[in-house]
Amino acid sequence: MKLMSKYNRIGLWFAVAAMVITGLVYYFTISYILNGQVDQDLVTEEKEVLDYVKSNGRLPAVLDLENLKISFEPSVAPVKRAFRDAAFFDKRENETESGRQLTSSVVVQGKLYRFSIIESKAETDDLAWLIFEVTLMIIAVLLTGLFVLNRLVVRQLWQPFYAILSEITRFNLTDQNNISKINTRIDEFRLMNDEITSMSSRVIRDYQDLKNFTENAAHELMTPLSLVNFKMDNLVQEGLVSDRQGVLVEEIYQTLAKMKKLNKSMLMLARIENRLFDERESIDLANAMCDALKQFEELFRKRGINVSTAIGSAEIVINADVLPVLLNNLLSNAASHNCQNGKILITVSQGYMSIANTGTNKPLDAGAVFQRFYKAAGSEGTGLGLTLIKEICDTFGIILRYDFHQGLHIFELTF
Amino acid sequence: MKILIIEDEPGLREGMRDYLTDAGNICETASGFYEAIQKIQLYRYDCIILDIMLPGGSGLQVLEMLKHDKLPDGVLIVSAKNALPDRLSGLKLGADDYLTKPFHLSELLARVEAIVRRRAFDGSPFLEFNEIRIDLDGKQVSVKGKAVRLSRRDYMLLLYLIANKSKIVSKNAIAEHLWGDDIDMADRYDFIYTHIKNLRRKLMDAGCKDYIQSAYGMGYKFSDK
Repeated sequence: MKLMSKYNRIGLWFAVAAMVITGLVYYFTISYILNGQVDQDLVTEEKEVLDYVKSNGRLPAVLDLENLKISFEPSVAPVKRAFRDAAFFDKRENETESGRQLTSSVVVQGKLYRFSIIESKAETDDLAWLIFEVTLMIIAVLLTGLFVLNRLVVRQLWQPFYAILSEITRFNLTDQNNISKINTRIDEFRLMNDEITSMSSRVIRDYQDLKNFTENAAHELMTPLSLVNFKMDNLVQEGLVSDRQGVLVEEIYQTLAKMKKLNKSMLMLARIENRLFDERESIDLANAMCDALKQFEELFRKRGINVSTAIGSAEIVINADVLPVLLNNLLSNAASHNCQNGKILITVSQGYMSIANTGTNKPLDAGAVFQRFYKAAGSEGTGLGLTLIKEICDTFGIILRYDFHQGLHIFELTF
Repeated sequence: MKILIIEDEPGLREGMRDYLTDAGNICETASGFYEAIQKIQLYRYDCIILDIMLPGGSGLQVLEMLKHDKLPDGVLIVSAKNALPDRLSGLKLGADDYLTKPFHLSELLARVEAIVRRRAFDGSPFLEFNEIRIDLDGKQVSVKGKAVRLSRRDYMLLLYLIANKSKIVSKNAIAEHLWGDDIDMADRYDFIYTHIKNLRRKLMDAGCKDYIQSAYGMGYKFSDK
């Protein structure tokens, strides 16, 4: 639910309640005032009757007007003077209207008379209703107007908010695009915009620092790695004493190679993220794939992996340094997670490449598979191979998809 | 060969010097930009091993100076940076080869020898080791005049071993030389064994002595001793 709808809904309920209550209060107030008016008239009539009796010594004639009736009747006991609501029968209209009655008593030549004056309230009632209706109408018009105005004004007022929101949606760390400033005179929005702008530049800076750190760290590690490598190369020339030492040296070399590989992958990853491979050119993918396959020939043969290829001509726009990394990692992945006597299917055509391999008989976790240092159980790799593939694809606008179908792990690239 | 090693990191400098000297070369070293400039102005070298990042200046400036003065020394750039622009500008400026750290010393020696060979054997690109004769242009190997047919990798392996003759070359270094470091599986040690076996058999079939010695199970040595 939008903030505005929520706000409008509350406003609407409140307006309806306010309208009803106001109407009722208005109605009763006006009725009360008009009643007082009628009572005033009754008192005037009473005074006239009493004056008449005083000066003439007899009762006036019974009055039966269209809106006023005065009647007398003999009474034994004095009547308490009182005002009250009563029914008024209009003979002409032949209907009963609401009225106001004053009952009192008067003494004429020693005899006690009770008299009542009734006045019709029909006119005053009509007036009250009219005022009530007009009031309700004015309130209704006012509320509708406010409602519409609110919608228009609020939409206008929230414009900067939506502008900021769309900036945030578009914000992408790797693009290096800051969230731009938005022109608004509303303090709250300006404050929010300022905070978000500075937050985004802070985030971008931190991210940049982190990337630089990875690159620098990997870079700095190259010197000690080289050093160990050199020392080992020189050490073995001194002549080892036993084959046992040979095994140990061998293991050190293997570990060293793994460290070098890991470090190189990290460096490559950082460089790709830092957009250091921006030069791109159109490269014959079929050719590059054949070259890459040659590197793996022996490995495939040894593992009894059956490779079937359907390589058609294809051009891909990518960095010349990065393409071999991409292909080698894809093939290496397909080979190392394969099973003995498994198979690899390679398809290359214009705009499409897929590499499918047999392996474990259940799909990989598609969400985690491209994460850094994610490794399948028992994997000997660095855990960066697929991350590199993903990063390269993202950088060069290649769509990468993982799929598991009929026992095959399929990596599809659309470019 | 006379080699100048320009490298600011002492451990790396000594490591290269020790290995190259031990392989029968004369090595001089320079630890910074100005020392390097001094040396190349005074002496000529068969090959200069040049680090790009030097205190006092860039290795590329040293290279520019060499080329500007039309000095004949071969240049091998060694750099921790594998960035394409660096490599391109290095090669464009006239460096003979580019090697990215970290690398094996046997790889360094093989590259240096290749550079020196290319520059020295104008017109007669032959490499000889006792009865083995290698035609570097045609990539042909013959033993006592008899041709030996080798696969591409066997040929690369033979060249690599001869370049590092009398040195123990680790299997790891051979693997990196033959396959690069993109294939980092233990399998490749088995391939090396297969290639060594092939190479030895083919050479011996042609009447060559067995020069390939296994070293403690961790590497090989090509030696006539």
